[in-house]
Amino acid sequence: MLAATNLRKTYRRNADQVKVLQGLSLDVHAGEFLSVVGASGSGKSTLLHLLGTLDVPDEGTITLNGRRIDNVSSRERDELRNTVFGYIFQFYHLLPEFNTLDNVLMPAYISNSLVKWFATRREWRKRAEAMLERVGLSHRLTHRPRELSGGEMQRAAVARALLCRPQILMADEPTGNLDAEIGADIVRLLRELNRDDGITIVMVTHNLDIAATTDRVLRMTHGKLNTDAPAAFTRPKLAAV
Amino acid sequence: MYKFLLCFKYLRTRYLAFVCIVSVMLGVATLIVVNSVMSGFSYKLQNRLHGILSDVMIETDRADGLPGPPDAIVARVLASPVGKYVEATSPTVEVMALLQFQVRSRLTGERFSITKHVRMIGVEPARHAKVGKFLEYLQRQKDGGEASFALTPDALGRFDFNRDFGGWEPRDANAATKLLDFPTVRIPQVPPVDAPPGMFLPALAVPDRASSPPPLVPAAGPPRVPGVFIGHAIAHHTWKDPVTGVSETINLLREGDEVFLATVGATGVKPVASTFAVADYFRCEMSEYDNTFAYVALGELQSMRGMGNRVNTVQIKLIPSAAGDHELVHKTIIPELQKLFGREEAINVVSWQQHQGALLEAIDIERGILNLLLFMIVGVSGFSILAIFTMIVSEKYRDIGVLKSLGASSRGVMSIFVSYGLMLGVVGCGLGTLLGLGITVYINEIEGFLTLVTKQQIFDRGVYYFDKIPTNIETTTVVLVNVGALSTSVLFSVLPAFRAARLHPVNALRFE
Repeated sequence: MLAATNLRKTYRRNADQVKVLQGLSLDVHAGEFLSVVGASGSGKSTLLHLLGTLDVPDEGTITLNGRRIDNVSSRERDELRNTVFGYIFQFYHLLPEFNTLDNVLMPAYISNSLVKWFATRREWRKRAEAMLERVGLSHRLTHRPRELSGGEMQRAAVARALLCRPQILMADEPTGNLDAEIGADIVRLLRELNRDDGITIVMVTHNLDIAATTDRVLRMTHGKLNTDAPAAFTRPKLAAV
Repeated sequence: MYKFLLCFKYLRTRYLAFVCIVSVMLGVATLIVVNSVMSGFSYKLQNRLHGILSDVMIETDRADGLPGPPDAIVARVLASPVGKYVEATSPTVEVMALLQFQVRSRLTGERFSITKHVRMIGVEPARHAKVGKFLEYLQRQKDGGEASFALTPDALGRFDFNRDFGGWEPRDANAATKLLDFPTVRIPQVPPVDAPPGMFLPALAVPDRASSPPPLVPAAGPPRVPGVFIGHAIAHHTWKDPVTGVSETINLLREGDEVFLATVGATGVKPVASTFAVADYFRCEMSEYDNTFAYVALGELQSMRGMGNRVNTVQIKLIPSAAGDHELVHKTIIPELQKLFGREEAINVVSWQQHQGALLEAIDIERGILNLLLFMIVGVSGFSILAIFTMIVSEKYRDIGVLKSLGASSRGVMSIFVSYGLMLGVVGCGLGTLLGLGITVYINEIEGFLTLVTKQQIFDRGVYYFDKIPTNIETTTVVLVNVGALSTSVLFSVLPAFRAARLHPVNALRFE
């Protein structure tokens, strides 16, 4: 479904160069729950940003269902991020001025013009409420992010990422800022979404326990995938739930 | 959709933005108030200037006046292509003159003469009233019929009373002892002990009209003395108490009082002089004119100066459709008249605007410079928008990254901040316009209140004789001020908006 070939990415600051990705290739299969683990600075998040069109590789290609997406126009990349990819982040990144419902509706606000929004707003609202109910936040619709707990904020972020029914969910250390119990809840939620809705999930984490619950675990070291990953990390689909 | 949503949200939640709104509001309000007041002054001034002058003037500096009798000149004008635009004409003689009259000190009783230089203008009053607002400016006659230099029975009585009894001593004595058959003569006021020096009494005792004394001279019959319409400020002295700030106006010349006017004759350097009696006051509310104008009958001035039937100015009033057409007046009528008279020596044909060109131009220049300076206020508000937006962009660094990760385009992010600037501008301009119009409409009440609070008179009505601060709200100016302020708001929000648009989402999202 999503394939990266020989990805290279170097960050430059003045004369310093940090080679983050050094010829990385991977395939993400439709409907799988994939996790990428590795030490800090190994390039996990960069890989996720490149796969999700938030950034462009210096070299290499990325294809989505056989179509290259690394060299498309910024407008197409914006559209891909709005409709094909959903993002959740370690720090939730909800907009503090908006309540939970508006935060969840944000992708719809972005994709619709003013006129189109007023024509379809009821439908979107219904969908957002359904999403919030799905993540267990139907009682928090009008609360601002500062009034929610960390777990609730991450759930709201998941609901936001799913609003436009993306094909692939990119989760950048979704449990990194949560305690073990709440983190496990979030992973359980992601697993449910993957199992019930067939959403492909690429999750970056440094928590091996959580990674162990996913279908496939890829280990990254120094900008490359470590092919010597222990077999224990690769589980049959749905086995962890 | 998200652009509007974020704009509204930022507008409602970022209190810092109110600084921008307030600065735009103050800039717009100041510009509207200043422009309206200056326009009011300008409009009123133009109105008054035009009131004393007709639309077009044929004038000469020659001492003996325009060549030929005025009727012949008017006939030439009427026969020319300009003739169809002419509504009325008025031949006049305008010369510089010296005016002298006697007053008596309220404190010491000492009598002395006051001498002033005046502009002595000979007119046919009824005819001159048709070319301008001459009649409206005559204090006594403005509400009744035709202007005339004839003295009223009261004025004639006063003149005769002064003259028959040969001067001040018998006048004072008569007034004091009531020897005359003039039982209601008011005794000149006794000066108050603490009255400051330099205050004057009216030149003469005045019959008390309340008890309606019978006039000494019958109303009918030709005037025995030529009348003069004297500038109101010449005949009235305003004295302001330096302690209380209260102004007091003292009448120096009353109707029927004698004045002496001296000028030069039409041929050679020959002084000529004559005595006139005040027949009315001329008050156009322009201090310069009210302080220097003395109108006499055209025939009187012509015979006094020995210029026969000649005049030195012919004032022409145009029909309203032509008078209002600036282009027609300056491109057709004046050149035509110049062709008609231009070859004659020292003859000028000018419009009233050209005649008062320097003054009108000065007002325009002043207004232009003031606008330029005041627009700096709007410029300052622009810089506050720039500074505050830069802060907001820094503060919203992460949110911009989130929006981009959710599919927002760089252009969309840019338009959030440009629209935000526009919205601040719209709100600031709206409030500023309301405030500006409010202040303009209630400027006199505000001035009154400020005067009361500060005990300092902010607008001295004595300077312009305006009983209130004149204002004239011009829609075009209000629109232009708003467009300028809105453009500034948008322009200064572009730079921070551009910075926000260029922000890389990965950098914004990397750290908390």
